[in-house]
Amino acid sequence: MSKLKFTLLFLGSLMIGNASLQAAENSNTETQVTKGEEVSTENASSAGVTEPQQPITREDFEGVRNEIAVLKDAYDRTLANNIANSQRSLKISGTLSSSYSIPTSSNASPDPIPTFSGGSATLSFKGNLKKDYAEGRNLDYVLSLATTTSGTVTNYVQPTDAYLQYSIFPSLDNEKPLFYVQFGQQKKPFGLEATTNDDKKPTINSATFVSKLNVSKRDIGILLRGDISPTLDLGFNYRIPLIEYSIGIFNGSGPNALDTNKQKDIGGRIIINAPVDYNSSYRGLSLGGSFYRGKDDISKTIGTSTIKDIGSRNLYGVDLAYVATPIGFTAEYASQESQYLSGTTKANIVKPTRKSDGYTLTVFYNFGDQFLKNARVESRQDDYWPTTYQPFVRFDHYDPDKAVSGDDTSIVTYGFNVFFAETTKLQFNYNVRHERSNSDLHQNDFVAQFQYGF
Amino acid sequence: MKKWIRFLTIAGLVSMTVAAQAANKPAVIRVGAVGSSGKPFAGGINGIVQDQGLLQQEFKNDGIQIQLTLYKGAGPAVNEALAAGKLDIASIGDLPCVIGRAGGLKTRYILGRDNGVNSYIIAAPQANIHSLRDLKGKRISVSKGTKTHLTLNRLLAQVGLTERDVKLVNLSGADASAALATGSVDAIIGGADRPLVQQGLAVDVYDTRKDPIQNKGRGALLVTEEFAKKYPDIVKRVVKAHIRAAYWASQEKNKEALYAVETKTGSSRQSLVVDLAGQNLKEKYNPTLNASSVASFKDIVDFAFRSKLIRQKFDVDQWFDKSYSEVALKELGLENYWK
Repeated sequence: MSKLKFTLLFLGSLMIGNASLQAAENSNTETQVTKGEEVSTENASSAGVTEPQQPITREDFEGVRNEIAVLKDAYDRTLANNIANSQRSLKISGTLSSSYSIPTSSNASPDPIPTFSGGSATLSFKGNLKKDYAEGRNLDYVLSLATTTSGTVTNYVQPTDAYLQYSIFPSLDNEKPLFYVQFGQQKKPFGLEATTNDDKKPTINSATFVSKLNVSKRDIGILLRGDISPTLDLGFNYRIPLIEYSIGIFNGSGPNALDTNKQKDIGGRIIINAPVDYNSSYRGLSLGGSFYRGKDDISKTIGTSTIKDIGSRNLYGVDLAYVATPIGFTAEYASQESQYLSGTTKANIVKPTRKSDGYTLTVFYNFGDQFLKNARVESRQDDYWPTTYQPFVRFDHYDPDKAVSGDDTSIVTYGFNVFFAETTKLQFNYNVRHERSNSDLHQNDFVAQFQYGF
Repeated sequence: MKKWIRFLTIAGLVSMTVAAQAANKPAVIRVGAVGSSGKPFAGGINGIVQDQGLLQQEFKNDGIQIQLTLYKGAGPAVNEALAAGKLDIASIGDLPCVIGRAGGLKTRYILGRDNGVNSYIIAAPQANIHSLRDLKGKRISVSKGTKTHLTLNRLLAQVGLTERDVKLVNLSGADASAALATGSVDAIIGGADRPLVQQGLAVDVYDTRKDPIQNKGRGALLVTEEFAKKYPDIVKRVVKAHIRAAYWASQEKNKEALYAVETKTGSSRQSLVVDLAGQNLKEKYNPTLNASSVASFKDIVDFAFRSKLIRQKFDVDQWFDKSYSEVALKELGLENYWK
């Protein structure tokens, strides 16, 4: 009720303010009103005022304006203090991709066909539930949705990220370390490529091991992440911590799913960054290491019965990156040891371990106008689209079972990206694929994709 | 055959001459400056240069385009653009340009800008802050790495305090105002526009209007070493356009027009009138590289080093390059105007 009264008071004040403004404008139409002068009857009539009145001075006008501003501010603060999801900043972002692929040579049967693809779409909401101006111990939320593809059809939308983030350490002072807790469905802290958003990757397709080893799938759990010993270059508003770390406990059953066993998975990642100033040639150099230890439900069907068990799945990864201008590279290696059930009868069933691994090396060169983090240009009336060009080459190798020879996949991708903005790019990839496990498939294809981020 | 040889020789000489001329004349001069509150207009000397189209006039007959970019991210954003090779000329505050130079930016300081940029400290009414001394132990919002950060340190030193005696909160713009209005900080240091004071949500504590010039912020006009080496005459003409603007701004008769230029940035006229009241415009808009500005920048370098904002000092005398302004002042007949 008090809010209603306050709103009415506020609206009333606005109306009074507008009326004063209108009167001021009307009385200024034909005569200059100065302090001490009276408004002529003719003008007063035209303004709908029948009685002589005191002229409005600049001070009066400023006074009304200030009162309205005070009321508006009080109203906004009341809302901000009492409603969690009021007018606090909400950042909406997303990516959409449209692509066209043409197989240029293939020994596959039947011949693959050229196709347009709607690709994928993501939509992300990031906002603030509690803003702590004094120390920055903010409570934030992230909700992301993405289309999923089943076979050849993009058929539904489901949440990818859905978590709350609380800053345990004060986050306002850039010279101090940061420490957050994230609770909900989120990315697992494994590897470089799997933790990087699509809009930052030069290639259209992810590295083979990222999808085959399931490291890019979201999971539900709790994650602690932070950094240590940051270097701050205030002249460029650049902050780089010496060490970044993250460790989390997850269901291990993937996104939008409850746990299927009592065991929880644990994963962690540590990154050592070059502790240098913005202008250093070593800016962008980092070395990372990751681990993931989990338990999966494994099963085997023998005859008409299915034998179920729990198998361990352990991953280790290491990566090296130099993301700079004009030249940069990323290199990553990941290895997995996973148990599975093997045997022909219930009596002789065993739980052996399969070792898989994969690696990628991407080298890129940037030229053209570079997008700058700090530069939010004001003076140009048109949109700011610095165009960057990025040729790159990537080597991708994956071996699903180290004990078996001749089952590996190698893909060499030659690509060229045109960045119209930091997250909007036209991509051309030429993939030379050799799948020895798939009837010794040799297939080259050309893929063009337009990915637009907002 | 001889005809062909002669023709090719002449054609070669002509193309070499054209190429040499092109080398002495850039197609575009990329100028960057600190932007204001979301409006596509610069303030101070830059605002006058922009408003009167002085650079465009200067280079109209040469067919050289002027590309002005205003960066909302203040000094650090201008430094980032310089590091990325996106600017030839940059207009920036005193502390950020010192940090940038110490960080390896290859620039030369070619002209001063507004010398008397005032800072205002305002506080929440309930914070019980009435003087600089009362700031001890209080939470003060400042945008770190900017010229107000330097000014705050100088003001604290005036009353025997340092940054360690207060709690600095690194906020700027709307966030700082919101923090003060909600009581999350006790005081903020910022510019002349103080809507919170007008709204009765904050009170004035201190401002630098009556302080000596060293307590006020300064601006700098920089040129990249590469551009200066390639186009020294162009740099001189850029400096000349800025001196014209400074000369215009330094005259009392242009004060009203100056307000009109400044209000385009979103500043309120009322604040500008208060800010400039009693200020010596000739001193404020003195762009010359004199002993006072050299001493001031040496002091800034010392401060930045002591505060660990920079890792190494550098030679201010070598950084300053008076050659362009000396010639430009002479050509404009203003060599004695600011003496």
